[in-house]
Amino acid sequence: MLLLAGPCFIFVAKPTEQHLGQYYTVPPSHFHTVFPHGLPPRYQQQVKTFNEGCVMVRQPALELISHLKRADYSKPTLRYLLYGVKGSGKTMSLCHTVHYCSTQGWLVLHIPDAHLWVKNCKELLPSSYHASRFDQPIQASNWLRNFRTTNEHFLSKIKLRQRYVWTKRESTEEGRPLGELVDMGVSRVKSSSDVVGAVLKELRLQAGGTEGGFRLAVAVDGVNGLWGRTTLKKEDKSPVAPEELTLVHNLRKMINNDWCGGAVIATLSQTGSLYAPSSAYLPQELLGEEGFDSMDPFVPVPVSLYSEKEFESCYLYYLDRHWLQHPHSQTEEGKKELIFLSNRNPSVLERLCAFL
Amino acid sequence: MASTSGLRTTLSKMAASLTGLLKPWTPRVLLVRWSRYNPYYLEPEPRKEVYHIPETELTPEQKEERELKSVRPIKAATNSVTSSVFNDPVLSKFVNMMMKDGDKIIAKGIITQTLENMKRKQVEKYHKAPEGKKAEIECNPYAIFHQALENCKPVIGLASIQKGGKFYQVPIPLTDNRRRFLAMKWMITECRDNKHRRTLMYEKLSQELLAAFSKEGNVVKRKHELHKMAESNRAYAHYRWW
Repeated sequence: MLLLAGPCFIFVAKPTEQHLGQYYTVPPSHFHTVFPHGLPPRYQQQVKTFNEGCVMVRQPALELISHLKRADYSKPTLRYLLYGVKGSGKTMSLCHTVHYCSTQGWLVLHIPDAHLWVKNCKELLPSSYHASRFDQPIQASNWLRNFRTTNEHFLSKIKLRQRYVWTKRESTEEGRPLGELVDMGVSRVKSSSDVVGAVLKELRLQAGGTEGGFRLAVAVDGVNGLWGRTTLKKEDKSPVAPEELTLVHNLRKMINNDWCGGAVIATLSQTGSLYAPSSAYLPQELLGEEGFDSMDPFVPVPVSLYSEKEFESCYLYYLDRHWLQHPHSQTEEGKKELIFLSNRNPSVLERLCAFL
Repeated sequence: MASTSGLRTTLSKMAASLTGLLKPWTPRVLLVRWSRYNPYYLEPEPRKEVYHIPETELTPEQKEERELKSVRPIKAATNSVTSSVFNDPVLSKFVNMMMKDGDKIIAKGIITQTLENMKRKQVEKYHKAPEGKKAEIECNPYAIFHQALENCKPVIGLASIQKGGKFYQVPIPLTDNRRRFLAMKWMITECRDNKHRRTLMYEKLSQELLAAFSKEGNVVKRKHELHKMAESNRAYAHYRWW
């Protein structure tokens, strides 16, 4: 590997082995379309400060992209699971892969954090479709709005294959474009969870199709939230199981590998998880028995802390962007201290360099 | 009560006998985290450079000092003492002044957030500025903090002196420590009292520090008002006798 004199900025959408450790710039127009939700909040702040969005090309993302290139899409979907210690870069690798998929013209279904659907829900309505399930109108309509921003060009092309009846007077006919369904879900907040279920079902049916076929990428962050416990309570103070939530139920059907023509890329996350110890990061520990059985078989992709080359690259990037301002942080001594304090953990390094 | 006064007398006797008998001596009860030590104890040396000098390059005084340190007990270092290159004594003092109820973690967290906030604002301005203006924008939060504090330090202070039954505000010179203390105190009280209730402390501090850096803002105004008062009370300057 050549030693770089400074952080290299590359502009190709298809990163290869040679580009390991280098930063690639996401064009600013892509930020609002591809990532209305989904980027970690500190990274969003960094993008705003530096006036540009640069992502480091790392081994897990490259591995995922090479798998996606060589997979056979007529077979049932492959599930990829990114796992690693806290702060090692799982969400960023997921976002890198999502950006790659959207540049290749795939339809991206990005759920920014599955944990947000199983906790802190202010309104829990009993579902009209199924008696024992609960709807989450706010979360569902927010997600539909962001989905609409991400996949504008697909919404008019995909036609519905089934008639959906919402109320006595409202229904969506067969053959109408998907965009109409999504608009309806955003405007009629009460039935937005059922709309999400309908959208997911339609996409599942049509993903592998030969006429007008598109590839579907389901990217879920914090997938361990779908199995486990919720903090939501019913009116009689009994706890709600995740299966009883419409959104979670439909998403689980999506993650099953009984459809073809796409891929499921998931990330484990301990940060937002409920009732999980903070030292847990392996799939077995975070998914639990039920989750592991549903996800099995999957392709595990471990995300490690920065290697020496990657740390160098990150350090040089911060120097180049005038982010490391303390005079001592630009010396060898300061660099050694940064390595010691952060243990090459990407998020810890970012937080350290923020005030140095 | 009798035991503590007994201890004090023993210590004073020990201190008095220092000049006579300097011998290697370890107390029976070891003090771990106290601020009051027997003068026999030596200060700890946190700087790394001192320990990296090889044996051959030591001056005779340094050799003697090392001999002494190998026999005498050394005070326990406090938590705020580091050998880190990023250690800043002025900033540590500011953190201590911000601290409430001994909660240094919260105070240090607020200061780090303040530095980050200031740096973010300045770096954003830097990246959006045209080429000619880039050199003028100061991005280093530590430089901004020190310069802002310098701009807030009063040059002359007032003391209340009684003469002939009445109290007069007399202009007096201030020591460096007092000036630094006043600047920090004004900064903290200004941010705590005179800002909007819902803004967080780090946001208030970063706004006030950036304003002080460019010599605007309420703290610098307060310093100017103190100077004006001192100027107007020039006539009483001879009431000062030190």
